[in-house]
Amino acid sequence: MTDPTIGSLETEMNRGFLQILVLALLEKDMYGYFMVKHIEGLGYKVEENTLYPLLRRLEKNGWIASKWDVSQDRPRKFYTVTPEGRAMRRGLLDVWKNQNRILGKIIKETTDV
Amino acid sequence: MSEKLDAYLEEISHFLSGRAEREEILSEIRSHILEKAAAEQGQATDSAIQAAITAYGPARKVAEKYLDGRPIIAPAYKRYLFRYTTLLFAVHAILTVVAVVFKKNFVIFPFLFMPRLGVIEALMYLPTAFLADLGFVALVLYFITQSGKEVKLPWPKFAVDLDEVKPPKQGFLAGRIATLLGLIVMVAVTDFALYLFIRYQTIFFVNLDFSDPTPLFTPEAGRRLSLIVIAMFAVSTFTLLVKVFTRSRWVDAGSSAVSLVLIGLLLSQPFESLFAVSIPEKVLPKIKFGAKFALLFIAVMITVDLIKNLVIIGRRRLERSILSSSGPPHV
Repeated sequence: MTDPTIGSLETEMNRGFLQILVLALLEKDMYGYFMVKHIEGLGYKVEENTLYPLLRRLEKNGWIASKWDVSQDRPRKFYTVTPEGRAMRRGLLDVWKNQNRILGKIIKETTDV
Repeated sequence: MSEKLDAYLEEISHFLSGRAEREEILSEIRSHILEKAAAEQGQATDSAIQAAITAYGPARKVAEKYLDGRPIIAPAYKRYLFRYTTLLFAVHAILTVVAVVFKKNFVIFPFLFMPRLGVIEALMYLPTAFLADLGFVALVLYFITQSGKEVKLPWPKFAVDLDEVKPPKQGFLAGRIATLLGLIVMVAVTDFALYLFIRYQTIFFVNLDFSDPTPLFTPEAGRRLSLIVIAMFAVSTFTLLVKVFTRSRWVDAGSSAVSLVLIGLLLSQPFESLFAVSIPEKVLPKIKFGAKFALLFIAVMITVDLIKNLVIIGRRRLERSILSSSGPPHV
């Protein structure tokens, strides 16, 4: 981050992005820590203490489901996207694509000027 | 299991009290921290767990992310907190004066109970009344917010709107010069009063002949009343001195509060055997009533000023908190 004032605005932008990201990611079953590391590997950092409340909200809305796996030494909670979550993800991606298109168009217009 | 992890979860649990899914949330956090400690440090040792806890964040902040974001009072209603409190307190203050003057008590159960009040009790009662009014209005706005309904709150157009209190128009320099002039006058007045008190043990005289002055009050009463009045002068002087450097309304509020206490002291002085000069019996009750009425009037004016300053301080803080918390809500 170059400009410290971007910080709070980036946090606001991240809220929506993180939801699409998680809904896209959970096409495969994953547990929280694995998701954090996986997202980090993609070049994006998600705060651990932000991820779990988000997962909880998504589950409350019926967009993801979870179950504990206690077969290992440490119990892990796995999450997966539900059909409703997939529908929501499609809707959110459409919104995001449209926003991207509008923004791209404006940037192109202003650059041409 | 690490005691540190247990203590951390216990702390989070404390902030999450009342939430049905608390145990599940704690299990998720426990699982994550153990997983992270083992993955990043080889095994979940105490130091590895401590590192994972530090990375996860302070317990209160972690808990807050799970808590319902609904405010106690919705931002749209926040300005009504001070608007309605001001109106309610104005009614309260008027009823207080009526209660004192007519020696009556008022009861509108459960909203108002005002016993028969003496002057001192009334001065003590007003700040309490303000806090009660503020609490009552806050409670009503809380219930409206929690109901989630769209309620359009009324506000009469003729009412004094503290939202529109403008900053003083005079320039910063002009304001300072005026304050400085006031300070010079008050220093002179206070010094002169102190000089009189040191020389004559009183500042109240019947005549202005300082070679042979006649004190207005008896020695003991004159000394007490003079000290109180000199203290009031000193408070004003000190306030003006501070206001040369800052325009904070806390200074005015503090000054008003101290002045109220001093007026309360003045009013509490016994009236009998006060005068050193002879005053006709018939006139004495009228002087007593006049003096008490004048002091009470000044006290009410100071109280109104005090409340106005507190309301403005409160509103400014509120505006700052609204501005700092503005932004899109959680999805």
